[in-house]
Amino acid sequence: MYQSLLTRRYLFSKIMPWLATIAVALCSFLTLTSWSVMGGFLNVFLQIGRKLEGDVSITWPTVGFGRYDELIARLEKDPAVEAAAPMIRGFGMISLPDDRAFGVTVQGIDERFAKVSGYADALHWRPLEEPVKKDVNQEDPRLDAEWPRRMERDLRAAKEQGGRPVDPPPLGSFRTWEQMYADGLSLSVRNPRTGVAEPAAVPGIELAGIAQRQAGGWYRAPALIGTRRSDGQDRWSSGFLPSRSVVINMLPVDASGRSLTTTSIRLPVANEFRAGFFEVDKNNVFIPLATMQKLLKMEAGERIEPGSDDPFAIDPLTGEPPKPKVIADVPAKVTTVLVKARAGVSAEELRERCLAVYQQFAADFDGQVPSFQQMVQGRNISTWERNFAMFIGQVKRETVTVLMLLTIISGVCSILILTIFWSMVSEKTKDIGILRSVGCSSLGVAWLWLRYGLVIGVCGAGLGLLMSCLLVWNINEVHDWLGRTLDITVWSPETYYLPDIPSTVEFSKAAIVGGAALGFSVLGALIPAVRAARMDPVRALRFE
Amino acid sequence: MNATATISATQPVLRAANVCKTYRMGRVEVPVLRGVSIEVAEGEWVAILGASGSGKSTLMHILGGLDRPDRGGSGGSSGGVAPSVWFRDRELTGMTEGEIDRYRNESVGFVFQFYHLLPELTVVENVLLPTMRKFGKLGFLRRRGELMQQAGTLLESFGLGHRLRHRPSELSGGERQRTAIARALINNPPVLLADEPTGNLDHKTGATILDAIAGTRSGAKPGQSGRPRTVVMVTHDLEVAARADRVVTLVDGVVTGESAGREVGAA
Repeated sequence: MYQSLLTRRYLFSKIMPWLATIAVALCSFLTLTSWSVMGGFLNVFLQIGRKLEGDVSITWPTVGFGRYDELIARLEKDPAVEAAAPMIRGFGMISLPDDRAFGVTVQGIDERFAKVSGYADALHWRPLEEPVKKDVNQEDPRLDAEWPRRMERDLRAAKEQGGRPVDPPPLGSFRTWEQMYADGLSLSVRNPRTGVAEPAAVPGIELAGIAQRQAGGWYRAPALIGTRRSDGQDRWSSGFLPSRSVVINMLPVDASGRSLTTTSIRLPVANEFRAGFFEVDKNNVFIPLATMQKLLKMEAGERIEPGSDDPFAIDPLTGEPPKPKVIADVPAKVTTVLVKARAGVSAEELRERCLAVYQQFAADFDGQVPSFQQMVQGRNISTWERNFAMFIGQVKRETVTVLMLLTIISGVCSILILTIFWSMVSEKTKDIGILRSVGCSSLGVAWLWLRYGLVIGVCGAGLGLLMSCLLVWNINEVHDWLGRTLDITVWSPETYYLPDIPSTVEFSKAAIVGGAALGFSVLGALIPAVRAARMDPVRALRFE
Repeated sequence: MNATATISATQPVLRAANVCKTYRMGRVEVPVLRGVSIEVAEGEWVAILGASGSGKSTLMHILGGLDRPDRGGSGGSSGGVAPSVWFRDRELTGMTEGEIDRYRNESVGFVFQFYHLLPELTVVENVLLPTMRKFGKLGFLRRRGELMQQAGTLLESFGLGHRLRHRPSELSGGERQRTAIARALINNPPVLLADEPTGNLDHKTGATILDAIAGTRSGAKPGQSGRPRTVVMVTHDLEVAARADRVVTLVDGVVTGESAGREVGAA
């Protein structure tokens, strides 16, 4: 009883316990905030990776491999597999409407890609019924169903704008949000003249850098972008990329990896995607698989028997020069098959199943597809985490380094608490003598100080966790406010990959940080408590 | 000396035999008590008289279980005879830590020269402190009303009824000492141990404190009952010692004489 009474009185009669509480609170706050942001960064990265890559990829880069439909069929029979999809991934160059050109990763996909990835969710331009969380003024153009039509009408009506000559948008370039979303899914845009669905591209929303991300988290497309024409005149035209077209340039290689002639194609932009990971949104463009196969000479074909060396040879049956003899069909090729796991199956378990399926597949198509040994040796059947192990490892190491630093800070805090407690026990030496003189046991006196440490730990950790949760949950708003008010931008999407700061606090992390703060507080109080317990009551009473 | 003999003939409530105590000051051993033997009878008021450093406070601490005597042994200051301290029929020197704590809580009450009140607690909380230890949290909360009333009545009897919610820093020296006496009596211990209870007070206030201590001897403080209370008081002041039934004189850790209090007063 006397412990609780004295703990309460000691807490409220001195400044030192408040200082100790603030120290514990700040340590908990720092640790949980840093851990949540760093850990959240890693988690978001992993989620986004899986969103666009599936769980496991089977890859034979650059030259690709055939019979992929057979492989996919076999994979989809496996109970561990939810779906599988073909893909060609290659490096190319994209030319934008304003004549800028970038090196990009071009990914050829078909409708199956959406089954193994979160591609459908990543398409940015779509009808939106509710504004995104931070779009408080509801300025997101997706909220306005009339926005595309109005843009087209305005651009068509304006011959010039602010003294700048304006080109009218091509026929049918502005489509409804619903149509844009459907076009994005099918990677095609209907030709307004023929009514035929033509192949189209879906670049990452950060690729062009034309649509500007707003502090509220939505994107604003500029009305006009300028282009200098060959006659030296600047012309202005729609800045909304899905109303324009891009040129994709690819460098195909033959089966031995030697380069062939550069190929190129102009594709309308069906939509833009936003995976939420800056590097992905900046450097990737999706095009239809069949288009990609044509660009890279990976479409199905025929293998022809080498003809006679005689340039004047005549087929005796027809009296004509001999026709080349087809000796085999060459199947279409892809560089990658992406595989998605069924619910409850881990990526590693799926990888084991994929290895087994591929082993049989390679045996059945021996000589036509890369061998199992080649695949294993090159680690070409791999989970997404394994593919990006180096990057993930760096982030993990960075997280561990930060946590180690914070642990050291927490250790310093513990020493600070110990110092404060030591000082308080010294100051309260006479009280210890008095308590012992009225019959309080040495353990009771020790518990008084331990309890004191515990209360400081609970209050400090509670306060720190609360502050941390409030900050992390609102970190993007706070960051935006800092940017608006003080022009301070700590989190740059280009530097940290993610356009938003991770803002989730995991209960387990909060529990660990709270427990550690409590532990450090009790540890800090333990030595002074033992000292108090062992104190000779007579000496304590005589203490000056 | 006759008075001592007479009183000592009754059943002693406290008894110390051959008590030695040596303190170590750095490398130097300082003997404080050198084979002290003393008996205090039930209901007796004994003053231990001595100059500063004579060992009188140490003796009181040992009698109160705050300190332990040196173990006896061959060649030691005890002359090879084991020291012993008794409270009625129980030997303190053989008690466990827990038993000693309980003894300090229930069987004796301390009053110190410098009051030794906890500054963060109010007057009534200071007084209730020993009961919190005695009954534990649940027991105290169960009896809270009764104990509060008891403490209030006790403080009222010492003229502190209007000071219950005050902090010690808001009290005069005499009030603080009366609070300390109330705290010493709250568990109704049979023995009151007072170490220079008037040493920090002016003459007039000191006299009131001695009156208060004298008043506790009947064991009939309001709300309390039982056998007459024994008082052991340490002092260097002859006039204060004269209030006691018997005066034991201590010089350099050795009992040099005993006399009746009135004889000391007459001298």
